[in-house]
Amino acid sequence: MKKIISFLLIFAFGLSSCEKDDICDPDTPTTPRLVITFYDINNSTVRKRVTNLMVIGKDQKEAIVFNKTATDDTRFLTSGDSIAIPLRTDADTTTYKFTINSGNPNASLINSDEITFVHSRQNSYVSRACGFKTIFNLSAFQRADPAGDSVWMQDIFIINPNIEYENETHVKVFF
Amino acid sequence: MLKYFFSIPLLFSMFLVHAQETAKPKETVQEKQKAEIQKPMAQEAVTDTILPKTNRYGLRVGVDLYKLTRGFYDKDYKGVEFVGDFRLTKKYYLAAELGFEDKTTDDDRLNSTATGTYIKGGFDYNTYQNWLDMENLITIGLRGGFSTFSQQLNTYKIYNANPYWGQQAPLVSGEKYNGLTAAWLEVAVGMKAKVFNNVFVGFGVQLKLLVSNKEPGNFENLYIPGFNRTYDGNFGVGFNYTVSYFIPLYKKKVIVPELKNVSPKK
Repeated sequence: MKKIISFLLIFAFGLSSCEKDDICDPDTPTTPRLVITFYDINNSTVRKRVTNLMVIGKDQKEAIVFNKTATDDTRFLTSGDSIAIPLRTDADTTTYKFTINSGNPNASLINSDEITFVHSRQNSYVSRACGFKTIFNLSAFQRADPAGDSVWMQDIFIINPNIEYENETHVKVFF
Repeated sequence: MLKYFFSIPLLFSMFLVHAQETAKPKETVQEKQKAEIQKPMAQEAVTDTILPKTNRYGLRVGVDLYKLTRGFYDKDYKGVEFVGDFRLTKKYYLAAELGFEDKTTDDDRLNSTATGTYIKGGFDYNTYQNWLDMENLITIGLRGGFSTFSQQLNTYKIYNANPYWGQQAPLVSGEKYNGLTAAWLEVAVGMKAKVFNNVFVGFGVQLKLLVSNKEPGNFENLYIPGFNRTYDGNFGVGFNYTVSYFIPLYKKKVIVPELKNVSPKK
């Protein structure tokens, strides 16, 4: 009997110490971002790096932070060949302004396009700790050029309309 | 919350240890006194006679006070559990529990309400060696449990690791998932002490293993009536604090080997 009691005590102590399944593991796939990959317009199989791209949501004060370690305005810039941007979980459209060569002293190089992504949303259960996530289905996009400096994103293709994971490209942009 | 849940059984398990130590001498003192009173009479009647010892058999019914009183201080909980056992042999008891629970679980990102009834059945084995006519129990037992319940998702939050567009307020769902069932096995350890006449007070802890769980689509059973909170694995824990009444039905004589030479006298 004593043995059983001590076993139970150990068991209960063990449980108290590892009770935390109420913290959402960062590795759990939750609400995905839209992954855009850039390609060369002249050679459609080759990825191309953008130069100082800044992406800002419509009516947002701050652009998306791509470089978390920087402290000045360069943290909003990326020069990679792929970006991941969050979509709105509370609306069916998300509008971003993509500015290339942002901050360049030569103003003629700066070019910005505005893209509105049209997507349906679905809330899907993840776990007790993470709650729900929103997954998207990208149905269309609208391109605008409010700056009037012609479009730099010459071709845009929706490759994978089901946005559930971030390890795949959803949209290809050629420039 | 969970911390308290485990701490309470822990606290009570301390009492268990102490309760035994203090209770034993008390009972034996009483029994000694009784024996002293009976001794002279017995000597007068026949020399060297021990009164035949009998065990009482019957049905014990009771209620779980922990569940019953929890509704008074926890607005998220309403529940009741009736417990019963029937003595089969000297050591074995058929045991069953029948209950109803309505529990709202408030997690950081989810708020849900589970409502349903459950039944548990199995046996208890009394490991306690009673002195004379004591009827205390320290039991270890097995149960099979079955619950039928519904679950309602009240509110939920979207987990968004990149809240560029701002964190969304909790969404109200109100979706109800009916016709859910779950079955589990449990190992129950408990004690019951006779406090006076036929009234017993006891408590027990249960370790549970979920064997079947009908989950709702796009949601999860976060709380199963009778099984309690679910974890990532299949295990669960439970606790009860019971007050029960013993209804004696018949008696059986205890055959003690030492009585062989003594002529039965009644």
